[in-house]
Amino acid sequence: MSHARPVVKPADDPAFKLPASLSAMTLPLLGGGLLLLIAGWAIGNFMGNARVAMSAYLAAFIYCLTLATGSLFFVLIQHLVRAGWSTVIRRIAELVMMMLFPLAILFLPILMTLFMGEGTLFRWDDPNYASANHLPMDAWTEKSRWLNQSWFTIRAVIYFAVWLGLALYFFRGSTQQDETGERAMTDRLQYWSGPATMAFCGVTSFAAFDWVMSLSPMWFSTMFGVYLFAGSVLATHSMLAVAAYKLQKSGAMRDEVTTEHYHDLGKLIFGFLLFWMYISYSQYMLIWYGNIPEETEWIYHRQLGGWGMWTVLLIFFHWLLPFLGLMSMYVRRRPKMVVFWAAYVLLVHFADITWIIMPEASEASALPYAVNWIGILSAFMCMVGMMSLLTGLVLKVAGDTRVIAARDPRLAESMAFENV
Amino acid sequence: MKTSTEITMSESKDKKIHGIVAEYATVDSLMAACRKVRDAGYTKTDAFAPFAVHGIDKALGIKPTKLPWIVLCCGLTGTATGLLMQIWMNGIDYPYIISGKPFISLPAFIPVAFELTILFASFGAFFGMWALNGLPKFSNPVFTDPRFDRVTDDRFFVYIDSTDEKYNQSSVEKLFGETGSEYIQSVLEDDSPKKVPKFMITTWIVVMALSVIPLLVVLRMRVTNSPLPRFHVFYDMDFSPSKDAQQNTTLFADARAMRPNVPGTVARGQMDLNFQTGIDIDALAKIDGPRAAMLVRALDDADLAEEDEAVNEETAKPAASVMDTTPWLSENPREISLELVEKGQQQFGIYCSVCHGMNGSGNGLVNRRAQKLLSATWIPPSSLHQQSLYAENYPDGKLFNTISNGIRKMPGYASQIKVEDRWAIVAYVRALQSSQNASMDQVPASEKKRIEKLKTQVDKKLKEQAEAEKKAADEAAAKAKEAEKEDAEAAAAKTPSA
Repeated sequence: MSHARPVVKPADDPAFKLPASLSAMTLPLLGGGLLLLIAGWAIGNFMGNARVAMSAYLAAFIYCLTLATGSLFFVLIQHLVRAGWSTVIRRIAELVMMMLFPLAILFLPILMTLFMGEGTLFRWDDPNYASANHLPMDAWTEKSRWLNQSWFTIRAVIYFAVWLGLALYFFRGSTQQDETGERAMTDRLQYWSGPATMAFCGVTSFAAFDWVMSLSPMWFSTMFGVYLFAGSVLATHSMLAVAAYKLQKSGAMRDEVTTEHYHDLGKLIFGFLLFWMYISYSQYMLIWYGNIPEETEWIYHRQLGGWGMWTVLLIFFHWLLPFLGLMSMYVRRRPKMVVFWAAYVLLVHFADITWIIMPEASEASALPYAVNWIGILSAFMCMVGMMSLLTGLVLKVAGDTRVIAARDPRLAESMAFENV
Repeated sequence: MKTSTEITMSESKDKKIHGIVAEYATVDSLMAACRKVRDAGYTKTDAFAPFAVHGIDKALGIKPTKLPWIVLCCGLTGTATGLLMQIWMNGIDYPYIISGKPFISLPAFIPVAFELTILFASFGAFFGMWALNGLPKFSNPVFTDPRFDRVTDDRFFVYIDSTDEKYNQSSVEKLFGETGSEYIQSVLEDDSPKKVPKFMITTWIVVMALSVIPLLVVLRMRVTNSPLPRFHVFYDMDFSPSKDAQQNTTLFADARAMRPNVPGTVARGQMDLNFQTGIDIDALAKIDGPRAAMLVRALDDADLAEEDEAVNEETAKPAASVMDTTPWLSENPREISLELVEKGQQQFGIYCSVCHGMNGSGNGLVNRRAQKLLSATWIPPSSLHQQSLYAENYPDGKLFNTISNGIRKMPGYASQIKVEDRWAIVAYVRALQSSQNASMDQVPASEKKRIEKLKTQVDKKLKEQAEAEKKAADEAAAKAKEAEKEDAEAAAAKTPSA
């Protein structure tokens, strides 16, 4: 080849450290995020009601969770396919997946609604739910075997145990390699990535069923876990592009991340936009064709009181617009444009999560399933607050480690990577 | 080296020159040469290497391909084709309702539109690539040079086409010479023989001629008659080893392929025959063996013949009616309970009351409607409260049979009402009948008081009504008398003045 191999900097190069400007933001992000989170919840609670507030909180939680689990998936899949291109940005995903630890604590308020209120967030938690909705008792008895407080709690513990175990194992492996530079560590992580991906898929799918789908207890869609996963991976790639760009702007890893990596992230965002559309349409079409009341209920609720327009707008703004925007290679090879669309996707991903969760909260308002702007404002504030809080914590962790896998054996390969 | 150039010169006189190639030993020298060629301003150029070389497009100044735009256009054409085709087919040309959806229902159209988008886009990519590369092409003049074969192995080449605006044989050769190429060669027209050998054409004609024969045979068979059975190419399931209904078999002694019922077994739907038919089958077999056998195929022929003789002497006893000698079950085979009667009431309400009325008087909604329309062919349903339908005259089994198989214009309900429920209806009809003929001592003691009270109330009301009517009549009569009187007086007053 005509190119000289890129010069890999030594592991203690300052370019691999978190820039001071970002380190300084840790405390403001933590404090501001916490305040915003509480303010968002308070607006929902006092201007709406307890369910609106908790649903807003759940929407924010699920938004952050999709980014964290998406990052975990990204790390697993890069090891699984022995990816060469992604080594320079893998550490960002590894740092973000550590958000699962604070998220486990942030899950506690959601769990508390089950034990402190009856039907505050999850309607199946209300003992009168079945009789109030004229459900056949035998069907409800079967359903309650899965949806009950204690079994729900046990499952949540299992989900977090699996996620945290995987996140910790892969994070430790990667950071230890920064010190030792052992090739064997890469092999070990690669070896475990297969089973880890399988465990991840099961857990993430069931978490989606439990925490989001059970908001509408009698509805079911086996596609739902994949639907949430599609949005999760899409948002994760967008987040990686934005984070890499921000780090480069702040002075870290200037030569390591190149146009080629933005081009790749752009391609993946483009692909997962179509995947998101494909999955959500598949879910919709099967329900539409089957036309069975217990399945159409969920879609029907999202066609009432303004949510119908939201649904249509999601097709255009969550898929068509960014899809056409990222279609050209010209756009994908310009980091600024990729980062613009990535930030855009992060925003519409929130619109998607809101669309999934918030209609179930508006039952208490005058028009059932109407767009409740208080709830959406509350959810947005909670989301920004929780994201800031978690970003602050991630920056704290990143300050103690590096922002790049400095001694990964594939680092040089990743830096030399070319698309065209 | 010298000799090769001489050959080139002599050959190039009578052969067309397509361009010039230069050979390089390393990627780096190739890249350097490419840059030089680009900077010299040549545009119709190409580089050849045994593997992909990153950055070669840039070094040679090759513009990005137009292929993506072709693919995009084809993809959009596919989407439009898919949607328009389905809208035309399902919405306009042949509107056809599928599970109650609108004719033009986008969700159903999207999968096909999506597939056609992909199909058209792939065709666009595949054939677009052909078009851009000038394919299909069976030979390329650069391959006339045997040395060029090493391009798939370990050598690198740069090519400048003779149609390039700046092309000039000597200056190109000079430029290549400056890049340090060891081998510069003009690309000459491919003069390898293009004629197809004669034996191949002959073979082809013979094969084509032979291949027509099967077609001719088939065509001939289609237009002529033949005494032979049809020739089956594919057997499918045309010939089944199972026997047809009336065929013989050597497998059984009686040679019948269709087996009679095994004595002592009960076929599906024939369990408890009395219960199913409302007829005492045993008694019927004694009176009218063939009819019983017809009703019940389970009875063995031999048994029947024996009994027939025995019964002939017995049937001296006269039947209940001259018209109907069937030994109907006179009692409901189901145990009469409140539950049964209530079930019967429910079923009666669903199936019978529309004609016979809720109280069985024969004046249901259908009947009333028919009367209103003055329907000419309407036969009014029977009132169930006539003497001829009471249990003494109309046995339970017969009533059951009527429900099952119908009577006169009434259709049979066997296919709609379960056997058990038909017997429940029979029980309810008996209860209805007795309700119209109940005496005071049949009323339970707890209800007696209430009924007596109701009765006195009704009597009182009737009496009051009668009195009120009488009074009104009296008053009217008195008024009429008075009016008469007045008229008479008025007439009397008028007369004198006149």
